[in-house]
Amino acid sequence: MASLVILFMVHAMADKRRMMDDKELVIELFKIHNIFVPPAHMHLFEKFVQDKGSVKDIQVIKQTGDELMAKWKQKEKIAEILQTPLKVLNATVGKPYETKFDFEKFGWKDIQAYEFEGLEEAGLFYDQKTKQLTGVPTKSGDRKIIFKFKVEGQQDEDPFNEKPLTLIINPDPKTLWKNIASDKNDPYWKEDDVTLLAPLSDRHILVSCKRGRSHANVGAFREDDFAFKDLDNGWSIVVVGDGAGSAKISRKGSVIACNGVVDYFTEKSSADSLKEFDSLLLEHNTNASAETQKKLNRFVYDNLGKAVFQVHKKLEEFAKKEGVTLKDLSSTLIFTLLKKYDIGYALLSFGVGDCPMAVLNKDVSEVTLLNWIDVGEFGGGTRFITMPEIFGSDKFATRFGFKLVEEFSYLMLMSDGIYDPKFVVESNLPEIKNWQAFLKDIGGSNEDGIKVELSADNKDITTQFSSWMDFWSIGNHDDRTLAIIF
Amino acid sequence: MTGEPIEAVKNGVQVMISSLRQNPQAIETAFISIITFDSVAKQVIPLTDLASFQMVDIKATGTTCLGDALKVVSGCIDNEVAKTTAEQKGDWKPLVFIMTDGIPTDDWQSGLEEFKKRKTAYTVACAAGSGADSNLLKQITENVVSLDTADSQSIAKFFSWVSASIGVTSTKVEDGGKEVTGIGELPPPPSELNIVT
Repeated sequence: MASLVILFMVHAMADKRRMMDDKELVIELFKIHNIFVPPAHMHLFEKFVQDKGSVKDIQVIKQTGDELMAKWKQKEKIAEILQTPLKVLNATVGKPYETKFDFEKFGWKDIQAYEFEGLEEAGLFYDQKTKQLTGVPTKSGDRKIIFKFKVEGQQDEDPFNEKPLTLIINPDPKTLWKNIASDKNDPYWKEDDVTLLAPLSDRHILVSCKRGRSHANVGAFREDDFAFKDLDNGWSIVVVGDGAGSAKISRKGSVIACNGVVDYFTEKSSADSLKEFDSLLLEHNTNASAETQKKLNRFVYDNLGKAVFQVHKKLEEFAKKEGVTLKDLSSTLIFTLLKKYDIGYALLSFGVGDCPMAVLNKDVSEVTLLNWIDVGEFGGGTRFITMPEIFGSDKFATRFGFKLVEEFSYLMLMSDGIYDPKFVVESNLPEIKNWQAFLKDIGGSNEDGIKVELSADNKDITTQFSSWMDFWSIGNHDDRTLAIIF
Repeated sequence: MTGEPIEAVKNGVQVMISSLRQNPQAIETAFISIITFDSVAKQVIPLTDLASFQMVDIKATGTTCLGDALKVVSGCIDNEVAKTTAEQKGDWKPLVFIMTDGIPTDDWQSGLEEFKKRKTAYTVACAAGSGADSNLLKQITENVVSLDTADSQSIAKFFSWVSASIGVTSTKVEDGGKEVTGIGELPPPPSELNIVT
């Protein structure tokens, strides 16, 4: 080994001064071995160098040196390739994958042969034309891919050099979601999914309330709820509540809130008090003034306000009785009362939380929002009917609404499980084009081509609607409730 | 933190990421960022979605600039965590996990002041080994755990608990946007983790 190093050093020097002749080479070599040719022997030395045998030896030295140099350069090239830190883009099962793997871009200029090991097993291949690793990954996991290569000068019989790479293949999230049934023995259990069609007012209501994938995945309960009813006094009511997932028994909270509103308006005293609205509306319609408008607003505030307050009280009583906190029952609450008059439909509404209500005019060219939604600074932040502070807030009065519409095509109430994926942000709600797109989506213009024919004569409407409700939207797997009055 | 502990942290993060990748909620919604702090604090991995996340080599030698770390994490929350506006969907509140094996060597109180101004769903601090001061960490967050020794086994246990905590709470945080009120709502920690009360 030592002699090899010496030879190499000699040659390195020789290489620097290419013109150095054999004589000098031998002198240098001798020097390394502490042999110095005295002037008296110089003549002898020159003869020695020119000797046939010596010339041949020197030739061998030079040649061996050249080979050694080449080998070293090769080693360096290989080492460079092996040491290049490479990150291969992560892949996902079932998702078309491509990432550049361009030797030249990496600065690897002398690759003369290569192959990939472990790529095929992952469902991928190397496309020489595009210089990409590509394909559709079939299996998830941290896969070892070995890039095997030879650089210029390596022989056919030389083994490949191996550069291991890690390719992270994410599982297809769709396949990870589990659907674990909720515990039927739970005292607050309710069905995971409900979809139904029923007559309401002189129209129909199609409503679906489904447990979200995030809850199904862990066998948790549906927190959303809804209720609707035709009251005896000509009014009809639709309610939606979204129990907070962070609250312990909000599934019960949303039930109490939804049914509470319906119960309140079913009571005789409240049914009676709604009668006054007829005359107020008539007065407003024949002789509209700021005064009549004010009276109407006052009426809505008083009557719906009482209902809301009673619901809050009911929740409080329930919490006390069950020994839980009011917060444990956290639920949003939206509802609309509607009644048909000769002049059109009166819509009275209230909302707390991030669940929108909207009415679309006859030819779906206009949208009227019936509430504003509570959104926090961060995702998911909202307000609940269980929060005492909403009643004291100066915004409380603005939670109520009254609209008189001549005719309408659709009245919709939804929980954030629908709003988030379909409308995303508040600023999209007042735009009619988004509602038109939403209706198209329900009508079949969606990824899965699931079509709901919104007609009361449609025998399959609930099945269609239920499948539509299962639409896929990355990251949006909350409970979903959508009520459409059409 | 050098040698075995830092290797264990690296491994722990890897294992945590792999396990989170099996959680559909996490893989569809979680983003992760890593900030290291020794004589300076730096964000070594910007907020990256879990599916694209790749671990890098991390080093932590020398001093313990906890204050600087709290400032950096505050800045990262400001810059990378989106807030809800009428036109933009906000991110969920971040979860912050702090792990240290030493006592801060910088003016950490000023960093703490900054950090306190930011909203997190919850923050968990871990005092790894006898060199760390868990009472000091208590001033940063209610939720402090400690490891008797910063060996690879304990560190691995810490990270598997962290992944379980992220798994359990991500649904809660998302559903209500609510704060997880205490460590009691997280999965029970393994025996290697002492809850500092």
